[in-house]
Amino acid sequence: MKNKNSPLLILLIILLTCAFLVTSGCSSTEESKAQEEVSGMELVYGSEATSQADGDSESNTLILGEMWEIDSINTIDGDGGTLICEKAAVTETLVGANEDFSLKPRLASSWEQLDENTWEFRLRENVTFHDGSPMTANEVKFTLEKVIEVNPKVDSMLKIDSMEVVDNHTLKIKTTEINPILPGILHYPDTAVISPSSFDEAGEFVKPIGTGPYKFESFDEQTRVLTVVKNENWWGGEVGLDKMILKGIPDPNTRAMAIENGEVDFTVDVPYSETDRIDAIEGINVEKYKTPRVYKIDVNLKHEPLEDVRVRQAMSYAIDRAEIVEHVLYNVGEAATGPFLPTMVWANQSLSPYTRDLEKADELLTAAGWVDTDGDGIRDKDGEPLKLNMMTYSARPGLPPMAEAMAAQLKEAGIDVETEVMEMGSISDRKEKGNWDLYLAAYNIAMVPDPEYILTNWYMTGGPDNGPGYSNPEVDALIMEARKITDLEERYKKFNEVEAIVYDEQPMIIVAYYGCAIVKKDYVKGYVFDPTAHDYRINADMYLEK
Amino acid sequence: MKYFLKRAAFMALTLFAACALTFFLMNVIPGGTAELIIKHTFVGLEESVTEEQINQISSRYNLDDPLYLQFLRWVKEAVLRGDIGTSYVFKKPVLYLLALRLPATIQLAGASMVLSVLVGVSLGIYSALRENRISDHVLRIATLFGVSMPGFWVALILILIFSLKLKLVPVSGYGSLENLLLPAAALSLHSVAAVMRVTRTSMLETLGQEYIRFAKAKGLPVWKIISRHALKNAMLPVITVIGFQMGSLLGGAVVIEKIFAWPGIGSLLVDSISARDLPMVQGCVLAIVMMFLLVHFFVDMLYTHLDPRIRYG
Repeated sequence: MKNKNSPLLILLIILLTCAFLVTSGCSSTEESKAQEEVSGMELVYGSEATSQADGDSESNTLILGEMWEIDSINTIDGDGGTLICEKAAVTETLVGANEDFSLKPRLASSWEQLDENTWEFRLRENVTFHDGSPMTANEVKFTLEKVIEVNPKVDSMLKIDSMEVVDNHTLKIKTTEINPILPGILHYPDTAVISPSSFDEAGEFVKPIGTGPYKFESFDEQTRVLTVVKNENWWGGEVGLDKMILKGIPDPNTRAMAIENGEVDFTVDVPYSETDRIDAIEGINVEKYKTPRVYKIDVNLKHEPLEDVRVRQAMSYAIDRAEIVEHVLYNVGEAATGPFLPTMVWANQSLSPYTRDLEKADELLTAAGWVDTDGDGIRDKDGEPLKLNMMTYSARPGLPPMAEAMAAQLKEAGIDVETEVMEMGSISDRKEKGNWDLYLAAYNIAMVPDPEYILTNWYMTGGPDNGPGYSNPEVDALIMEARKITDLEERYKKFNEVEAIVYDEQPMIIVAYYGCAIVKKDYVKGYVFDPTAHDYRINADMYLEK
Repeated sequence: MKYFLKRAAFMALTLFAACALTFFLMNVIPGGTAELIIKHTFVGLEESVTEEQINQISSRYNLDDPLYLQFLRWVKEAVLRGDIGTSYVFKKPVLYLLALRLPATIQLAGASMVLSVLVGVSLGIYSALRENRISDHVLRIATLFGVSMPGFWVALILILIFSLKLKLVPVSGYGSLENLLLPAAALSLHSVAAVMRVTRTSMLETLGQEYIRFAKAKGLPVWKIISRHALKNAMLPVITVIGFQMGSLLGGAVVIEKIFAWPGIGSLLVDSISARDLPMVQGCVLAIVMMFLLVHFFVDMLYTHLDPRIRYG
């Protein structure tokens, strides 16, 4: 009796319960394993995957620390397209892009615009899928139909009316309206061509079967580790690595420590402030590149002070872009001029970034009637101080400190800016209500490698990403004209004019080009940064030299 | 038996209330559901969403229906068919996703509980026995540190020491015991400190009681006094604290899971909230509330064991 109620026994019960909780976890793991096997997926389990990774570290296997959690391997529904195409190199798109963002053939060998709404794509011959079947126009049509069905974004960009298989290697595409950027959209990873055997009989996506240098081997849905292996029959030639293991490590600090500890061979975007320290570690090198993304401030043109172009220009002069790049972004990025990277073939090369000039800012603000009358350091007009709010979000680590730094710089010019780091839902709510002044964000500028997409979305009256509510009939007319021009040089000239106008008017203050830090072990050879990728692209020539 | 039925009914009611509250609160926070689903799934966080896309998603997920109808539909499916929905973002059944992610969270929270109890209780007893000596002071300062240090910072320091310097355990990953050690240690630090403080206070109080003095006078060895007499009475408040710590363990898991790339439901819940993935949020809340209720049920049962004067009915 005494024994039964012993406190030690109670303690034991607690411990046993905890142990039970732990083991119950394990048994559920097994259940889910069984479940997944039923769904036809090949899976490698946690410890197995880890030990495999360890065991293979000697051979030609690259372990990659990816920056986002790997949630999905579905290439068409918007979730896994970029990962599978650019980072796992399992699938390929019809169209590729050069370093200057001009288009080049990939799975399509050539394309031609037959009339305003019709395009003809010739496909590369002798390309086979990882399941051994040949890639023909039928599979391309099948892929595009599937994407259109489930992915509203790609659907609205492609504007496809109908598709016709002319022969095994020719596909005709009719669009609902004139769509000169169609080939550019086919560079987008969600449109990468997959074999119909990627789906099961019920039409559910099972695994990506593409044409790329690496083929899908396994995806562990629980630990979310993706493994791909060399495609011996790649049409592009020899593939460098035997295997790649991709692990999602969402925390930048953890990524840094994982490569220091030798758990991954290749990763990206460690904390910007750590890049120099990590680069100094023997055996690891850090390379900084620009990616097609910009940090920019949307300016609410409906708010009285910001409606005045002089105030916007003064703000642009008050911001010290070089200092922000050096001290906030730790040189992972570059001071920006306009919406396009200077290396893009269509960028307006005659413009250069606004450099800090407080005198000029003072002149402009004074001319606009904003003077500091009460000596509190903040300019005012009709008794109202020049006070603005700036919203931003924390998903991209450079944004909150950038907002703070810019607020301090603007204050030196007499503009009082209050920064607010908010959740995306609150931001869109505030934008909808018009209750905002400035919005700092990072935008992708080469979702489609053509200037039309960005210029239309950002600067055209009513454009979907025209947050400021900017409207300039001249800009609208230029964009409309350029759309109809098929000669690329002529087309780009019109777009350059648009760029020059918005450079003067500053409805959006473009601050810096987004940077990407590639962190890799010295023995990872043959890596070439692709500036057209979303974050980074794994190229087939990469190999390990240990 | 009657008590168990009552208790089960109460649990069901709590679960229902939690779900209803989550459902309606998710709908009053700013930002359109359809718009955020599209941003998180199709167009990218920063880009705008067209009216057409919003309509397409709203009709696909019946988001235009009145709220109460949406909720009733969810309840009907959940109660009648045991189907708590399909994730808008992952496009897979919520139950399936929970089955994938829950084990990791249970392992992490369970291991942290074990650590909190083992380390917290033993250090608490030790500290009480050494009252006002140097080791007691050191331990009390250590608990202050444990209670006040943020979990993510502790996690990073632990990685720095045990992974980078000593090379004992991997930085991140899931699946083996060595993967579990650091996250569990980081997560449990707060609870260890809390349990230790309560154990020390409660133990001191018990040790001051007449019957302990009597036992001492009888010449019983200290370990016998502690294990046979003092511990049982001192454990009541400790167990209460352990029960409450479960909540903080589940909450703290969110950050720890992100740092260690641990595939649990904490990070899933946060991502689902920002993507307005309602069925997934509901599922996660359901799972967490259920775990919390079970732990508290268990704690209440332990009370009656520890102190037979406590009776439920």
